[in-house]
Amino acid sequence: MNREAIAKTCREVIYECVPELEGTPIYEDTVINTDTAIDSMGFTLVICRLEATFDVRIPNRQWAKLSTFGDVVTAIEKRVAKKER
Amino acid sequence: MAQQMCRTEENMRRYYGFADLLSTRAKEDPDAPALLYEDHGSICRISCSLLLEQVSVLSRQIRVSGKKCIGILCDGSPQCVITVFASVLAGAQTVLLDESASEDLLAQQICASDVDVLWGDEDLAQDLKVDCLNSLIPDLEMDSPNSLIPYPEVRDGQEPVNDDPEAALKAGCSVSGDILFFTSGTTSRSKAVVLTDRSLTASAFNGSSILPLSSKDRLLCILPLNHVFGFVCGLLWGLACGAPVALGRGPRHYSDDAKFFSPTVLSAVPSLLLFLLQHGCLNPELRTVLVGAGSCPPSILELAGRSGLHVCFGYGMTETSSGIALSISGDPYALQICPLNEVRIAPDEEILVRAGDCMMKGYYKQPEMTQTVLENGTLHTGDLGQIDADGRLHITGRKKEMLVFPDGTKLFLPEYEAAIAAVIGDKDFAVIERDLSPVMVIHDDPSNRAFLSAQLKSLMQQYPRGQQLRDMIFLSKPLPRTATGKVRRWELSQIL
Repeated sequence: MNREAIAKTCREVIYECVPELEGTPIYEDTVINTDTAIDSMGFTLVICRLEATFDVRIPNRQWAKLSTFGDVVTAIEKRVAKKER
Repeated sequence: MAQQMCRTEENMRRYYGFADLLSTRAKEDPDAPALLYEDHGSICRISCSLLLEQVSVLSRQIRVSGKKCIGILCDGSPQCVITVFASVLAGAQTVLLDESASEDLLAQQICASDVDVLWGDEDLAQDLKVDCLNSLIPDLEMDSPNSLIPYPEVRDGQEPVNDDPEAALKAGCSVSGDILFFTSGTTSRSKAVVLTDRSLTASAFNGSSILPLSSKDRLLCILPLNHVFGFVCGLLWGLACGAPVALGRGPRHYSDDAKFFSPTVLSAVPSLLLFLLQHGCLNPELRTVLVGAGSCPPSILELAGRSGLHVCFGYGMTETSSGIALSISGDPYALQICPLNEVRIAPDEEILVRAGDCMMKGYYKQPEMTQTVLENGTLHTGDLGQIDADGRLHITGRKKEMLVFPDGTKLFLPEYEAAIAAVIGDKDFAVIERDLSPVMVIHDDPSNRAFLSAQLKSLMQQYPRGQQLRDMIFLSKPLPRTATGKVRRWELSQIL
C-alpha cells in the first residue's frame, strides 16, 4: 500500500470520526489539532479507528508526537510496511 | 481494627489503609466481586478474597526481594492494581507513573523519585524504549510483576492457596510505604506528591460518605491510576463501598468500555465525558457520573443532564489525596465540603484547606516548595472561591498562573511562555485560556502567522495535544502589563 492510498484512507477516517470537517481540505502539513480543531479525545478516536482500519498499533506514547496529518500518515505507513515485510 | 472503624449517617465505613480495606472486605464479603476486567472478550471477576490473597502473596515476595522504591507503569490492568496494593503494603515507596509518557518524562520522574525498579506490563516494557531509558538511568532495574507472581487463572475458580492471607498481610504491613503521584503538569514543575494508603482511603471515605455506592452499583474505572482522581474516584471509591470496580481497557476502548462493562457509575474528566456523550458511548444502566480534575463548562453538564444522568462535580487536588468538595444535587457548582476537610476563604479569596488525614506529607524531597503551599497544616490551593450561605463552596477562579484543562492536566504559564520565547525570541506575547485551550496572544503582524507556526511546531510536539497552542490572536497594540512587566491576563481576556 503506497503513501497516497494510506493518506486517502486516513482522510476518510478523519471525516468519518469528525463529520464537521467534511469539506475542509486536509493537507500533509495540516496541523491536526490546531488547523482542524480536533480535540484530544477526538484525536484518540481517530487514531484508534486508523489502527483498526490498517490493523496496526501505534504506541500510546507516540500519539502526542503526531502533529500534522503527514505525521499521522507516516506513522501508519511505517507500520503497514513493517507488517507487509 | 474494630475500634478504628466508624460509620457515617449514610452507613459508610471508613478504612485506615489498604490492609484494612482489603482484609475487611474479604472477611465480610469474600465472594463478592472486587474487580472486573476483560479477558478474551469476556468479563472476568476477582473476588474480594482472591484480591486479598493475590496482594498478600505478592506483598510477601516484594518484602523478601528487598526492593525499596518501585515505579509502576500504570496500565489499569488487574496486575497493575494488585501490584500497587502489594508494593505499598510491602513497605516499598511506590511511584505511580503514566504508561504513555515519553521516555524523557519518565526518566525525569524516575530520577526525581529515586525509583530503583520499574514494573509494568511486559508488552508495555518492550514498547517503551528500554535501551533509551536505561541509558538515561543506568542503575534502573527493569522487571515485570509477572516474574514475581504468575497471575492466577481466576476464570477457573482457583481458590486461594494461602492459609491465612489476612494474617500474612497484617504481619508485614506494620509500616506501609508511601505512594507518590506526580501532579498533572508536564513541565519541570511537575512534582511528586507524597501520599499514603491512609490518606487515600480517608479520601475515599470523603467521597463515599457524600456519594455512597452500593454492592448493586458497578463503577467503571476509565481514568489512569497514576492520577489521584482516577485512583481514588475510579478504584478506591468502589472498593470502599463494596461496589465492583470494572477496570477499563485504556484509551483504545474509551468508546466501548461503558457498553461492554455496563457500569452504573463512572468517574471522568470533563473532556472524556463530553466525548462519551457526543459519540453515544454511554450505556443505559449508567445513572451517575462524577466529573472532576478539571474545569467543566456548563455546556457539558447540561448535555449530561439532558441524557438523564445524575452529574456530580468534584473539586480536589493531588495534595489532598483528591476530593475536597463535591456537588450532589441542585447547582452542580455549589460544592458540599467533604467531612474530613475544613475549608475557609482567605482575605484575597484564595481557598485554604485543612484536609486532616487526607493531606499529603509534602512534595518529595522538596521541603521548601512544600512550605510555600502548606503552612501549619493548611494548604494554599491557588484557587479562588467563595462559601455561600448554605456553607457550599463555589470555585471562582485561579490565583496561580496556571491553566487546568478539562482532561485534568495543568500548564504552568510562566514556564510555557519561557519555552515559547526561547523559540520565537523577544516578542510581546502571552498565553491565555480560550475555550479551554491555550491560545497565544501576540503583538505582531498577522502575516507572520505561518512563520510563527513553523517555528513553534517542534516545541509544541513536546507537549500533550491538549496543551498545544490551539490558535494565535494578533493584536495591533502592546499587551497590557503591570508596572513590573507582568501581563495582565484578566485584562487581556477582557480585551479579547
